[in-house]
Amino acid sequence: MALKENYDVIVVGAGPAGAMAAKEIAKSGASVLALDRRKELGAPVRCGEGIGLHWMEELGVKVPPKAVSQEISGSLLIGPDLKKTVKIQTPETKGYVVDRKVFDKELGIEAARAGADVMVKTEVTGVLKEGSKVTGVKANVMGDEREFHAPIVIACDGGESTLARMAGLNSVATLYDTDFGVEYEMVNVDCQDLIEIFFSKKYSPRGYVWIFPKGKDVANVGVGIGGMEAPNARMYLDKFIADYQDRLKSAQTVAVKGGVIPVGAPMKDIVSDGFMVAGTAAHQVDPIHGGGICLAMEAGKIAGEVAAEAVQAKKFDKAFLNNYYERWSKVREPKLLRRLALRKALEQLNDDDFSAVFEVLDDDDVDKLLKGNYAPVVMKVIKKRPQLLKALSAIKDVAMA
Amino acid sequence: MIEIDKNKCIYCGACVSVCPVMANILKETFIEHDAEKCINCANCVKACPMKAIKLVEKKE
Repeated sequence: MALKENYDVIVVGAGPAGAMAAKEIAKSGASVLALDRRKELGAPVRCGEGIGLHWMEELGVKVPPKAVSQEISGSLLIGPDLKKTVKIQTPETKGYVVDRKVFDKELGIEAARAGADVMVKTEVTGVLKEGSKVTGVKANVMGDEREFHAPIVIACDGGESTLARMAGLNSVATLYDTDFGVEYEMVNVDCQDLIEIFFSKKYSPRGYVWIFPKGKDVANVGVGIGGMEAPNARMYLDKFIADYQDRLKSAQTVAVKGGVIPVGAPMKDIVSDGFMVAGTAAHQVDPIHGGGICLAMEAGKIAGEVAAEAVQAKKFDKAFLNNYYERWSKVREPKLLRRLALRKALEQLNDDDFSAVFEVLDDDDVDKLLKGNYAPVVMKVIKKRPQLLKALSAIKDVAMA
Repeated sequence: MIEIDKNKCIYCGACVSVCPVMANILKETFIEHDAEKCINCANCVKACPMKAIKLVEKKE
């Protein structure tokens, strides 16, 4: 397929954010080119692969059955003793563990069907600029050095994004505000239709351990830890598996995956003249569970809508493109910042604290926490464990959405 | 300078995200390191979830 020299919009990275953006732009009739570094969209997988059903409904995305590894009815939270649990099953906790190799590729296919030009094994090596304005990209398309021109470039190049930096925005991840994860896909693991989240300092300082079922007896078993924590995520994961022999004695590893999870706060500076950043590249990640797929899809869709409007209006400056940030922050940013406050409180808990919390917490409390209504839960926990007053007082007064 | 053990690396991009000078670039199946740019900050050493990176003396 011959790629053109000039497009209305260039999207760099065809993951969930980029594919949604490209599809939105193509649907509007504007010309769009989506480039991806990988030889195959969706691979290699670098995450737990969980998505919420309510998100797909809100985004109007149909998940193809072949992309679903396991339907999920709820979540199981587990304390540091690996025994105490709280189970929650509400409409908000319904979801899927998907096969991202299939899921992401389908999103790319949908973008192409809507009219986007898509190219893989293409590394973007630089941005083209006129003054402060981004006007295109330099790319290596399967060995051929090319230049592509467009009045808008959208960076959706993930946690390892360098494009935003090339364009002059500061997207460097700080160690403190980033979790680093490693995950084994394992077989011979007893699983239900629940995602499991393990809280403890011992196994996952400033992060958590997860077991996400992927159908029958297969599961993603992973850990994310804070970037300042030594020595490394893999050591924590191996320790967890060694200590959880009741469950994982026969487990065999059929894949190893890893990645970077910017859990600090979403970037504020995500727009410049002719340029937008969306998805994990813009640190748009849930600070509590580290999930980025649905947030990336939402941000990509909004960025795509604004890009389409910009093409229509022939306005490509920062002021116009900032509609993307405005719209995104209106629907999403306050919720993320409220969850960031909860994260900061959780980070202060030691394993005795977690154990005490698991003594009193019930599913209704977790539902309240998920909905951002912290005060009643905090009161209940402090009653049981008064020494947490200081750690939790900061979130007690955070108002409900 | 740093050394990346390709036997351990799963090319996840963690070292790219924390490098302040873009000395690490994710290629499809490996990390390309530019020793000329590297400032020996060791952010990538701490970030790597596989402990695949170590700080070493610069070879003369």
